[in-house]
Amino acid sequence: MRPENYEAQRHPPSNEYELNFGPNHPGIEGNYALKVKLHGDIVLEAKADGGYLHRGFEKLMEQRLWIQNIALVPRICVPDPSPMEVCYALAVEELCGLKVPQRAQWLRVMQLELSRIAAHLFTFGGHAATTGMYSTMYWGVADRDLLLDLFEEFTGGRVYSIYNIPGGVRKELPEGFLQRLSETLDYIESRLPDYDNLFFKNQVFVKRAKGTGVMSREQALEWGVTGPNLRATGLAFDVRKDDPYLVYDQLDFDIPVEENGDAWARTLVRRHELMESIRILRQVVDILPDIHGPIRAPIPNPLAWNVPAGETYTRVESSKGELCYFVVSNGGPKPYRVHVRGPSSMHAVQVLEKMSVGSRIEDIAQTMFSLDACPPEVDR
Amino acid sequence: MSKEVAHWLDNILKEIEGIEVRRKSSRRVRVDVPADALPALLELLQGRAGYIHLSAISCVDWIEEKEFELVYHIWSYESHSLVSAHIRISREAGVYLSVYDLYQPAAFFERDIHEMFGIHFEGSPNMEKFILTEWDGPPPMRKEFDSEAYINEHLNWQNYNPEWLQELVAEGGGVIIPPEEQRFSQKKR
Amino acid sequence: MSTLKQIPVIEERKGNPLARVFDDLVRFCRSRSLFLLHYCTGCGAIELPPAMTSRFDMERLGIQPMVSPRQADILLITGYVSIKTLKRVILTYEQMGSPKYVIGICSCTVNGGMYWQSYATAKKLDEYMPVDLYIAGCMPRPEAVISGLQKLMDRIQSGEANGWEDYYRNYDYYLGNQQKLFGEKWQTPTDIITEAEHYNLIGDGTLGDHTKLLQQHQKPLEALEMRLGHNIKEPTE
Repeated sequence: MRPENYEAQRHPPSNEYELNFGPNHPGIEGNYALKVKLHGDIVLEAKADGGYLHRGFEKLMEQRLWIQNIALVPRICVPDPSPMEVCYALAVEELCGLKVPQRAQWLRVMQLELSRIAAHLFTFGGHAATTGMYSTMYWGVADRDLLLDLFEEFTGGRVYSIYNIPGGVRKELPEGFLQRLSETLDYIESRLPDYDNLFFKNQVFVKRAKGTGVMSREQALEWGVTGPNLRATGLAFDVRKDDPYLVYDQLDFDIPVEENGDAWARTLVRRHELMESIRILRQVVDILPDIHGPIRAPIPNPLAWNVPAGETYTRVESSKGELCYFVVSNGGPKPYRVHVRGPSSMHAVQVLEKMSVGSRIEDIAQTMFSLDACPPEVDR
Repeated sequence: MSKEVAHWLDNILKEIEGIEVRRKSSRRVRVDVPADALPALLELLQGRAGYIHLSAISCVDWIEEKEFELVYHIWSYESHSLVSAHIRISREAGVYLSVYDLYQPAAFFERDIHEMFGIHFEGSPNMEKFILTEWDGPPPMRKEFDSEAYINEHLNWQNYNPEWLQELVAEGGGVIIPPEEQRFSQKKR
Repeated sequence: MSTLKQIPVIEERKGNPLARVFDDLVRFCRSRSLFLLHYCTGCGAIELPPAMTSRFDMERLGIQPMVSPRQADILLITGYVSIKTLKRVILTYEQMGSPKYVIGICSCTVNGGMYWQSYATAKKLDEYMPVDLYIAGCMPRPEAVISGLQKLMDRIQSGEANGWEDYYRNYDYYLGNQQKLFGEKWQTPTDIITEAEHYNLIGDGTLGDHTKLLQQHQKPLEALEMRLGHNIKEPTE
């Protein structure tokens, strides 16, 4: 007898059978499973199976102090941890009525955009690996490593930076950091034509991805899809423009949009977003030396800090979509309830199930990676 | 949200009985309704006011007041504002209607709330467990579930007694808080 | 189960004096070509692609990622194991061919790490399967992972990394902990006791109360009935 969720059965005499696209599989992003019912090569039905990465974050956050949760929160989304920290810090600041100084807001924008570029490079690598083009994965991960070096320089941590605190950011930038940041951005921008030739315009990838996992505009809105997946269907909705937070209303950037709604369009949207993030970062690098001031608003003793009662709902645009935090406080030193709504909650469960129907089994990996479904966000 | 749009929204919302509207900032509105008025409110918001995106359904467990609070966060792409509709349901009954036929994303959240809090949503397409498929304890997000007690009962901790510490103890030194008094290192049997 | 040195080693004396040399050669070669099972169990898995790809190249040590557990040597537990994943990890571990090695990366495998208060993660990985090496960190840098792997290679070469033998010799202990966590009906498709007989690794701890319990309810393998879309139960709660 196998564990309850693991079973496969053949239904003779039809050509239908069931497979477990299980947690240990290179075609699945992360530790996640899909149970598929197939007729030959075509998927008839798919059922998502999560919970392999469940840690009970929401319960854990209720048992820690407000300041201790900052260390816990980036671990919810592993490839793109910075929006999680910023969203939690924004929520606590809104509950307390803290005003974040200008310099801290610009530094947060810098951190978020760097994290977005790193996450997109990682996604390109993973997506290319499903088509067998491992060179792109090597390039993507190596270029992302340069950004992780920058993260280590100004925050101290490669992946989980823990740079934010309710009220601002923790550390000032080191000497000459902006110079190194511009050099890295120049390098990445100069690599993009190579990426185009290797991956984005490569006919091997284009033929696999065009026409795979098509989503129309109405379907996207009905299914609650957000982020680059929604922009690939033609709608220019972005939390940074519609519901601005930090200093995004002072920055000059566009929202890239594609028309078709298939896997190739989604990948192209992410590529254009990477260019836009580089553009935002260059503006930050120009403006940041002129903004002086503190980097933190003063907060009371964090170990004995009673946040006033209330609730708030903050939204941030992560690289995968719309990330929201619902934080309830009852006036005590620990949160009363924190609800994390990750963007992959929609993408990895309902959208993936519905889009897999009718496709071939090899296209499920394309669909999942092009939706950029991140299982730790679904399972929390 | 501009003043005319806000005014228009307030006028529309007055059609629901027992509603209480609080504007928290230019893009956030908090609405409290009685539990049976919620479907009418959602239909109104979706159909006439253009609030088509259900961002999340959250649940808060108010154990002292013996109520669950369900919050529906709905976003409008046209007017760029978020309406959070709060309702309260009784804790013992733990049953409510599903809004799946209005908003499809609700299926995921209702399934999640069902397995974490134990609230049953009638009419939701799939009430099977998603994350806690092999869990046979009580719904873990309820306030009465003590996770540390559960851990002490079912799982073990690492015994950390290296040689250098044993030597120190033999000489008369040792840890300041002995293991018996540390909160989590000793199982209570 | 705190140190492997306390376990009595049953040494087979071969008559051939060259057998010792051959064993050393085999261990040397084994330590230089390890296949890593690419199963990303937790959050530490994000520092694995940097360790595998061109910047902190792991392949120059001979370590390659491999997809199937049947052909892999090392099982990397990258980060915390939730209880649902732990079942699959134990199945995967038992499917791997001996000799096999387990590395516990990140502090969560040591003593629960950051999720020590969580109801859904296992705290002490040592109880459920033998672990050869721990690499502490949260998460460890790719250089730390490679340094840990080099230490494992040294241990394999010197013959100290014998965790897989410990699993056969003390199967009752491991099975007891697994049954305590997963329920008494816990059963895996692999027949460990027959394998232990095959490898001549039956020890004092292989059979015991827990294996008796297992043999009482052990059913032959049959696929469970699962039809997608047809078994949505009526809500009874």
